[in-house]
Amino acid sequence: MHELSIASSLVDSVLEFLDAHKVKKVLTVRLAVGELNCVEAEQLCFCYTAITQKTAMENSTLEIETVAAVVQCPRCDYRGSPKYWEDARSAAPIPTLECPKCQGTVEPIQGNDCAIKTIQFVA
Amino acid sequence: MIQTIEASPDEIYDIELEHSLLEANAKLAKENRSLLDRHGIASIDVMGAIGSGKTTLIGRLVERLKDRLGVAVFNGDATISSDADLIARQNVPVVQIATVNGCHLDANLVGKALRKIDLTKLKLIFIENIGNLICPAEFPLGSKARVVVVSVTEGQYMVRKHPHMFLGADLVVVNKIDLASAMEVSIEDLIADVHKLKPDLKVIRTSCKNGVGLDELTASLLAI
Ligand SMILES: Nc1nc2c(ncn2[C@@H]2O[C@H](COP(=O)(O)OP(=O)(O)O)[C@@H](O)[C@H]2O)c(=O)[nH]1
Ligand SMILES: [Mg+2]
Ligand SMILES: [Zn+2]
Repeated sequence: MHELSIASSLVDSVLEFLDAHKVKKVLTVRLAVGELNCVEAEQLCFCYTAITQKTAMENSTLEIETVAAVVQCPRCDYRGSPKYWEDARSAAPIPTLECPKCQGTVEPIQGNDCAIKTIQFVA
Repeated sequence: MIQTIEASPDEIYDIELEHSLLEANAKLAKENRSLLDRHGIASIDVMGAIGSGKTTLIGRLVERLKDRLGVAVFNGDATISSDADLIARQNVPVVQIATVNGCHLDANLVGKALRKIDLTKLKLIFIENIGNLICPAEFPLGSKARVVVVSVTEGQYMVRKHPHMFLGADLVVVNKIDLASAMEVSIEDLIADVHKLKPDLKVIRTSCKNGVGLDELTASLLAI
């Protein structure tokens, strides 16, 4: 249920923006979610719809795009996509922190954040 | 060709914002961390599913540590169990942290708890997170290490089902190993799954029932 707290902080931020600008109606909010984050898009959209009711954001669309993970290996200097775990029991392959080159542990340098990219609105 | 005429809409704007939703928490986490560092206190965020044994483990660790150094416990988990009382009965400071939506602890709540207790005599704080399988990287608390507790009663595929939990962990505890054969769970396979996600992650096997692994866990936490 951390989707609910992410959705409320999202809505708070947008409403704050609306207060500062002359906005009639919000059409679309675009959110970028890192691949290494475990934000569940469907749940997030559900929470979004629920808490935007009776606000200036009512009936607006939440678009979620995934930001690909980038990892860096402190041992062999590999930098790029993570290694995926293909046969794990989940719908999609799971990004791991195993270095694709030397099998050491890599550090994520992109793919952990969750950020509002753009707001589309009618003024 | 059919021409449609539409009412001209009001002007539509597209504004780039680049506003991180996790940044505010991350900033407070850093503040917690520097407050703790200033007092020379190590803090350990204990995460894991409901019933994995977080409270029990913390209780056993407090028993082992409290005569050696100042220990406190923050409990974000609202479940009332005899083990929670066990911690309170050991005469260490306990702060119960209630979250608004019962979702997860955040750095703001932990910051408030830190202001509630006398930090001068403390060396170690255990923070029991809510029994929720979120990824630790999302809501850092400012702790020095994040421990994920997984028990064999959660089944053979627990790690595969909740991989994100482990990516941000500094230590994994496989608990309730006394029940492994009854549960027909292979501890080796469970640990192999952890290492598929993060090869160098330290894993310690414990049983709060017969005490196996608790000394090793205590030593690892003291080395953090
Ligand atoms: N058999 C066995 N039971 C355990 C072990 N650790 C905890 N338990 C039991 O598991 C239940 C849940 O433990 P608790 O610490 O409350 O879990 P929490 O929700 O993660 O805090 C309690 O009944 C504990 O006594 C263990 O290593 N072996
Ligand atoms: Mg508990
Ligand atoms: Zn490498």
